[in-house]
Amino acid sequence: MPSRRRSRSRTSRNKLLAALPDGDYRRLLPVLGTIPLPFKHVLQKPGETAQHIYFPSDGAYSITRLMEDGRMVEVATVGNEGFIGINAVFGGIRALSGAVVKVPDGAARVMPVRSFHREMQRRGPFASVINGFAQRFVASLMQAAACHAVHSVEQRCARWLLTTGDRVGDDEFPLTQEFLAVLLGVRRPSVTLALGALQHAGMIEYGPGRVIILDRMALKDAACECYAIVKRQLG
Amino acid sequence: MSLRSVSGASVELASCLYRPLTAPKALMTTEHVSRSPNQLLASLPAADYRRLLPDFKTISLPSKHVLQKPGEPLQRVCFPGGGVVSIMHVMTDGQAVEMAAVGNEGFVGISACLGGGLQIAEALVQIPNGSAQVLELGVFQREMDRRGAFRDMINRYGQAYLASLMQSIACNALHTVEERLARWLLLTHDRIGRRDFPMTQEALAGMLGVRRSTITLAFNALRRAGLIDHVSKKIVIKNRAGLEAAACECYATIKGHFARLLP
Repeated sequence: MPSRRRSRSRTSRNKLLAALPDGDYRRLLPVLGTIPLPFKHVLQKPGETAQHIYFPSDGAYSITRLMEDGRMVEVATVGNEGFIGINAVFGGIRALSGAVVKVPDGAARVMPVRSFHREMQRRGPFASVINGFAQRFVASLMQAAACHAVHSVEQRCARWLLTTGDRVGDDEFPLTQEFLAVLLGVRRPSVTLALGALQHAGMIEYGPGRVIILDRMALKDAACECYAIVKRQLG
Repeated sequence: MSLRSVSGASVELASCLYRPLTAPKALMTTEHVSRSPNQLLASLPAADYRRLLPDFKTISLPSKHVLQKPGEPLQRVCFPGGGVVSIMHVMTDGQAVEMAAVGNEGFVGISACLGGGLQIAEALVQIPNGSAQVLELGVFQREMDRRGAFRDMINRYGQAYLASLMQSIACNALHTVEERLARWLLLTHDRIGRRDFPMTQEALAGMLGVRRSTITLAFNALRRAGLIDHVSKKIVIKNRAGLEAAACECYATIKGHFARLLP
């Protein structure tokens, strides 16, 4: 009797897909594409018809809102603990937010929306993991709303660096001040000041196009409580 | 219709610009079933609403009544008949910041759409007005499983709610307290259909997540411009059009989400 061997593709770096029973995952394989996504790649814009659901493998994604003047503001971060396309959970066909790659993903998994709905309707393990993440995601949105109202640019900066570093699984990752200013919804000089303060305190080192976290513990102290809370929520 | 402001100039009340958050829709009713004061329920086909009616419980919504506590299991969803329920995020130091609001255009208990579970936020009656219709989680989920008009309506509201929550996140980062205050006042006016409502500056500061002194500055700026006033513990909107101009784009964006997605 031939032994059952797991194919390499069974090992999904996305935690939601990896949590599925073998049978369910195998059923989805034919509709799960794989696509590398580079830095700053825009997956979707709010209001656009959303054709696909994305399951990150690594890297980090900024969920964004677009303002009338074209400015993007980050409202949440998603990595391989989740998926992108929450509007589909509410039966919507239009993206509620933008999504942009802030740390490159070597092999994101992609599923057509129709397949997503079909699988959700079975109300099986797939629906469970999706709903579970959706709840945690909404909780992180609520945290962000409060955070943006109450916390300082420096605190939010520290939080952003830690969150992104966690997603990447590395203390060094690409970053431009311009990009960070856009995502935080603040002016570039505010970011320069905040990063400068964090660097001066020895918590980070930043150079053209990249940042290194030197002292996680200190950076956690500098961040607002939202970092720890969302980290706990999202797992 | 116009008011005389303190300076004697005539202030035009832009009542023609005011539109409720969602346009009320004519409902086919029978003599036996009166129309729900909640706009979502009122938009349901008569037969669907009639089927659900026995399962609805009516509760009153007094000021500061807590409908939902974070961390507690979600047991029911609530469809307000009027007034405003604030969805608050409670920080670790106890400070509660408003992230979203629900009036009779929506329902409280969005996690019911996501399998239930523990409640994420605190839901507090900010502006009381009458009562609400409450549905147990099991009944709600059963009705959602029918995949009919109820589910469509709930899903559309869920999308509008999430979109406006995301917009608030961006707004809180980008816009001034004055703009955010104007937005809050306008959305409240839309929800309750009255230009005046009971509210202290203290409560406003808490909701917007700023210090009392900060809200006083913002409030006074809007008052000096003749847009609002504070009269015997009530906030009064005097110049609707002016207030819309003082608000950030987020007011129109959020209102647009509800207008597009709801009946």
